[in-house]
Amino acid sequence: MRANHSPDRIKLIGLALLAGLLLAAIALQAQSAGRDFALVLSVFATRFLGIFVEAVPFLLLGSITSGLIETFIKSDDIMRFLPRNRLGAAIGGAFLGLVFPVCECGVVPVARRLFTKGTPVSLGVAFLLAAPFMNPIVFASTYIAFGFGTVFIGRIVITLLVAVIVGVVIGSFAKRSATLKPIALAGAHDAHAHCEHEEPSTRAKLIGALEIAGDEFFEMGRFLIFGSILAALMQTLVPQESLLALGTGPILSVVFMQILAYVLSVCSTVDSFLALAFVNTFTTGAIVSFLSFGPMVDIKSTLMFTGVFRRRIVLYLVLLPFVMNLLAGTLVNLILGYA
Amino acid sequence: MTTAAPHKREEQVDRIAWAKSLILFGMGIYLTLLILTGNLDNYINQRFAWLAGVGALLFFALGLTTLYRSLNPKRHEHEHHHYHISWDIILVVAFPLLLAILIPSRSLGIEAVNGGVSLNPVGVANLARSPLDRNILDWLREFDRASTPAQFNGTSVDVVGFVYREPIHPQDGFMLARFTMSCCVADAFPIGMPIIAAGAEEYAAGDWLRVKGQLKASAFGGDFLPVVFADAIKVVDEPRQPYLYP
Repeated sequence: MRANHSPDRIKLIGLALLAGLLLAAIALQAQSAGRDFALVLSVFATRFLGIFVEAVPFLLLGSITSGLIETFIKSDDIMRFLPRNRLGAAIGGAFLGLVFPVCECGVVPVARRLFTKGTPVSLGVAFLLAAPFMNPIVFASTYIAFGFGTVFIGRIVITLLVAVIVGVVIGSFAKRSATLKPIALAGAHDAHAHCEHEEPSTRAKLIGALEIAGDEFFEMGRFLIFGSILAALMQTLVPQESLLALGTGPILSVVFMQILAYVLSVCSTVDSFLALAFVNTFTTGAIVSFLSFGPMVDIKSTLMFTGVFRRRIVLYLVLLPFVMNLLAGTLVNLILGYA
Repeated sequence: MTTAAPHKREEQVDRIAWAKSLILFGMGIYLTLLILTGNLDNYINQRFAWLAGVGALLFFALGLTTLYRSLNPKRHEHEHHHYHISWDIILVVAFPLLLAILIPSRSLGIEAVNGGVSLNPVGVANLARSPLDRNILDWLREFDRASTPAQFNGTSVDVVGFVYREPIHPQDGFMLARFTMSCCVADAFPIGMPIIAAGAEEYAAGDWLRVKGQLKASAFGGDFLPVVFADAIKVVDEPRQPYLYP
């Protein structure tokens, strides 16, 4: 990128190459399955647009929440109410989702905004991992799908535990500047500080919030779109039955469902209904892990993370929850006697 | 970052601002059209249609603000703007609109069946519908609860679905399939009931049929299960609601 007079042109060429690859993959699939290229392309389009149309309202709500936080909430306000020590901050962060109801499409903009307001890393990370589930809508959908039983309780307990522990771990081993990208560091673009004396009107603030939300939508929307393309491609190209043939083993089934959750990237508000389709074929531990791991990390949120965290931290943010959910899911299976 | 002359840079930013409002309005219009034409049903469960409405409203609100901003640019104050939205981001975000314009809207059909049609129903809830009102999903749920496949012998069936064939199916048989959809096409899943009919070969894979007949436990594609022995088959149009909602 550096030492180049027009990085924008390079990016545009990269995009054209990606689009070419996309078409080539679809053409290859069409040819090997002996199907019409246009038909396979139309299946891909339907799957992609379905995920996009379902997810985009949540992304918009998340962006607007982020804009409102930026214009209406001063960093002091948040800091005042939240505990200062690392564990307390992580626990606070895990429950913060109840105040900012966002799903995983919307959580990253809000988390980034919180970071620029100077919240501790442990709090932000715990919020990022727990908020997509700690949300009245997701409680409702999980309850409707599974009732008040192992899956519902397991989902709450595992989500909170993993979020708090990963928050504390990442918060304690890395310095703030080594964790966050410059754009998410406090004061990175918090130039409001010097013009705070002329407090703008509420109307101006609202317009400002929507303006920020617009930019946020573009900034985060591209990750949602890349993620949706990947998920739609996978669903169009990999036979579902060959996925389902896997797994009733107490560990293998959990690994598999977590990978599936990662790849499918389905919104946390609705993943319970999807998990129902696997209830008869997969272990309960696998179902619980699917539901607790999926909202924390998936393809599209990983891509979104790269906009906030440094690359090494993104890796930890994927691997730590993966391993911990795997342990928890396996434990559930052992307790329920699948082994 | 580029080091173009300041006024050139400003012009660039201005054009990007126009592109942004165009895309935001475009998406708002797209969602509105999906709702008005009913094509939204191709993508998401109608239960969540209101979400698309909320989405459209929010897009219009954001589009208006962006437009207002490009018409009334703030002078130099607050020039500490947040993100650098460049043309590559604009192009990526325009991708869904491009796809929506270039490729005609369709529901998932036979060509989307990717590795087989399932005999297992999605979900557990059961609506006590009378036999002739039951759709394929209702029937599969009934079969799932039953103690023996023979329990339904002689019961009348009237179902709509599309033809799906596999090499292991008998000559005079096929599966009548539907996609179930809980939330959106991401979780769409094909399910089906086995049909045995005289002249079954006449119907092409993917044809939408209305099949009436009686259930009888028989062997089909290596399983022993309730099979519909059809006595009336009619080719029909794809239903307005192509998916079944668990």
